[in-house]
Amino acid sequence: MPDIHDESSFERHPKPGVDHLDYAGEQGMAVEQETLVEPDPEKREEARSLWGDAWRDLRRRPIFLISAVLILLLIVMAIFPGAFTDADPRKADLVNDYLKRPDWTDFFGAGWFGYDGQGRSIYARVVYGARASITVGIFVTAIVTLLGGLCGMVAGYFGGPVDALLSRIIDIFFGIPLLLGALVLLNAFSTRTVWTVVVALGVLGWTQIARVMRGAVLTVKQADYVMAGRALGAGTGRLMFRHILPNAVAPVIVVATIALGGYIATEATLSFLGIGLQDPTISWGIDISSAQKVIRTAPYVLFFPAAALSITVLAFIMLGDAVRDALDPKLR
Amino acid sequence: MPVATRARWVLAAATSVALVASGCSSSGGGGSSGSSDSAKTFSYQSSEPQNPLQPANANETGGGRIIQNLFKGLVDYDPSNAKIRMQVADKIDTSDSQTFNITLKDGWTFHDGTPVHAKNFVDAWNWAATTANNQINSSWFSDIEGYQDVHPASGQPATNKMSGLTVVDDLHFTVKLSGKVSYFEYKLGYIAFSPLPDAFFNDPAGYGQKPVGNGPYQFVSWDHNQQLTTKAYANYQGVDKPKNGGVVFKMYSTAEAAYADLQSNNLDVMDQVPPSALATYKTDLGDRAIDSPQGAIQNIGFTLYQADWAAPDKAKVRQGLSMAIDRDTITKTVLQGSRKPATAWVAEGVEGYKDGQCGQFCTFNAAQAKQLVTEGGGVPGNRLTITYNADGGHKEWVDAVCNSIRQSTGVDCVGDPRPDFKTARAAITGHQINGAFRTGWVQDYPLNANFLADVYRTGAASNDFGYSNPQFDQLSTQADQAASVADSVTGYQQAEAVLASGMPAIPLWYYRTNSGYSTKVQNVKFDSFGNPAWTQVEVKG
Repeated sequence: MPDIHDESSFERHPKPGVDHLDYAGEQGMAVEQETLVEPDPEKREEARSLWGDAWRDLRRRPIFLISAVLILLLIVMAIFPGAFTDADPRKADLVNDYLKRPDWTDFFGAGWFGYDGQGRSIYARVVYGARASITVGIFVTAIVTLLGGLCGMVAGYFGGPVDALLSRIIDIFFGIPLLLGALVLLNAFSTRTVWTVVVALGVLGWTQIARVMRGAVLTVKQADYVMAGRALGAGTGRLMFRHILPNAVAPVIVVATIALGGYIATEATLSFLGIGLQDPTISWGIDISSAQKVIRTAPYVLFFPAAALSITVLAFIMLGDAVRDALDPKLR
Repeated sequence: MPVATRARWVLAAATSVALVASGCSSSGGGGSSGSSDSAKTFSYQSSEPQNPLQPANANETGGGRIIQNLFKGLVDYDPSNAKIRMQVADKIDTSDSQTFNITLKDGWTFHDGTPVHAKNFVDAWNWAATTANNQINSSWFSDIEGYQDVHPASGQPATNKMSGLTVVDDLHFTVKLSGKVSYFEYKLGYIAFSPLPDAFFNDPAGYGQKPVGNGPYQFVSWDHNQQLTTKAYANYQGVDKPKNGGVVFKMYSTAEAAYADLQSNNLDVMDQVPPSALATYKTDLGDRAIDSPQGAIQNIGFTLYQADWAAPDKAKVRQGLSMAIDRDTITKTVLQGSRKPATAWVAEGVEGYKDGQCGQFCTFNAAQAKQLVTEGGGVPGNRLTITYNADGGHKEWVDAVCNSIRQSTGVDCVGDPRPDFKTARAAITGHQINGAFRTGWVQDYPLNANFLADVYRTGAASNDFGYSNPQFDQLSTQADQAASVADSVTGYQQAEAVLASGMPAIPLWYYRTNSGYSTKVQNVKFDSFGNPAWTQVEVKG
């Protein structure tokens, strides 16, 4: 993605004035540029960076705004479920609440979404279920980004035999389907928590990021400013982390954001199959699995956790899409 | 010393994923109702047998129901009223409840054409009882004199023949028991007492894959985890001649899959509909739905072999946990009325059933439950796991029981699903369970002794709890020695009352058979064993 590192290189090797106009012209946003010109050259540079530009672009996208708000909401829900409902997700009242239908007058109350086949509040379970999904999504993404990013960076930067070796390892892991690999791995554990699932998915899921990172590093490595840095005697660490990483990380962020939604879906799939999370962890996947038994008599038991899962996955994928568009205008 | 024994653990559904598409057992369908084709086979929802098919090596329903069809013993139970009826036996006489003179009918043959003679019974029983042959049902023979010689508590057997068995001639043999067992002939209907052909003894292991019996159906093929096919045996001499061409046992891993197959006519007779279908199956199937009582009970057993649960005051904890379960509500809601709350350890309808043996401990009372659990020192780690097999439709009620326990007593309770019945049973019999596990019991013979002696006596084959209570042992031994079946029944009722104080297992509810059949078959009736009257099923022409 040469356009990205070009822009960034301007940031690092400023030639005020010239690239301003060039860039604005390229973006077809000349008018906007005029109005936003900052008097202070320092600040002006900030505004012109890849990230600043992407952020400005994002702010204007409704898709981004919607998904960001949703994700924010889900994260708050995951951290403070008690703020959304007073109901206890594990309280089961078979006598009064067995498969009770949704009661829309009970707005945001325990009976809002109805009750499941154990007499538990579906609303409370949907709210509390967010934690498992969000935790798995975020932590798996963190692991794969770190692991894959590091591996891709090393492979791309050093090249030669190091690259050959790491690339083969990546190929080997890449050959294991995520879901199948996780099934086999998780089957080995008789008790599984959120962290077991996080580690299993993290260990199996890092290869895509590694490949993206490697490709980006290979491109950036050829840039003039990297050559210059090397010529000026910059060490490996400085070159890698100060010059190459900031310019190669954008595609990784895009891939990671989109994949995050995928990990959440994978967790739900594993839990649905009975091989992911287990009681007493509250997970949408588990609830969807148990809801299928009453799908014909009480479809709402299936509907709400399934809708929550769909919305969450969709929010992350939409966010990833928006971020990609902003960071990589060529793909638009 | 009878150290009694065995029966089949109830399970429910089971097995293979694959089959599904493999279609119906019989060719074609249609035809007017009423007419039937005695050459056509029907399929039955089954599960992969745990062990090779040797009659004394099946104590689970998957293998048991297949053996029941391939073999026929001296007696069996009339499906319509559970009374004993003579099959291979012509008559069984005794004057002292200890020595039984058995006369066989002439003309019975095995599927390989060899005759069924007295020695086929005697050899089979000796073989099954001998330690070296490692048969899971060997303790069924422990009533017979000389059992200790072929099956010593430890070490190698001195002989491989029980002294109590004597062949008189081809059609006569005598059985002498080591003590009086007034109801011994009830036991003889169990599959472990089946005769074996001479060919068996040459290669018992190979035979287990390709059994040759003397029952109404003969073995055709066994596609492991898929299906086992049988066909009617033309020369069958029993009183219940097959009205169909054979039974195909299809192995299912979930009851849901089987039910879907039933609705699409790819399966002819269900074993038990899944909980998800209980609310709707009568509407779905109309007059093809079956709801009949069954001599079976569901329990939660405890690992008394674990130090945590062995202490005497833990009995209070178990009593408390039992009181914490709201049986009425769970059977009405989660189980859709398919079960009846239990008040005893013997299933309803069995000879000797006595209501209320469990007393107050089987009545829901949250406050008292909590008090008892606290008095007994609480559940180890304040966490109870209930191990169950995930392929039998047990998840819903295990979760409900756990919720009930947690909310009544504050003890954290979670289900621990194992993938299938075989895996779960292996963990249970191997004492690899932590805390509690689901157990069920289907009668082997319709007598209360079967629910008690075979499960709770010290060292009994199905005593998976490690329960040992001298008083229970003594009372049950006395009951065995009673002069009549009626006295024996009363004796066992006294023994049953002892269980309330130790509570090795919590009785939950009695089973009913909730089943159904496809449009291709008719005259499907279930007995109290939860099995259809196999030979009476008619496949429409």
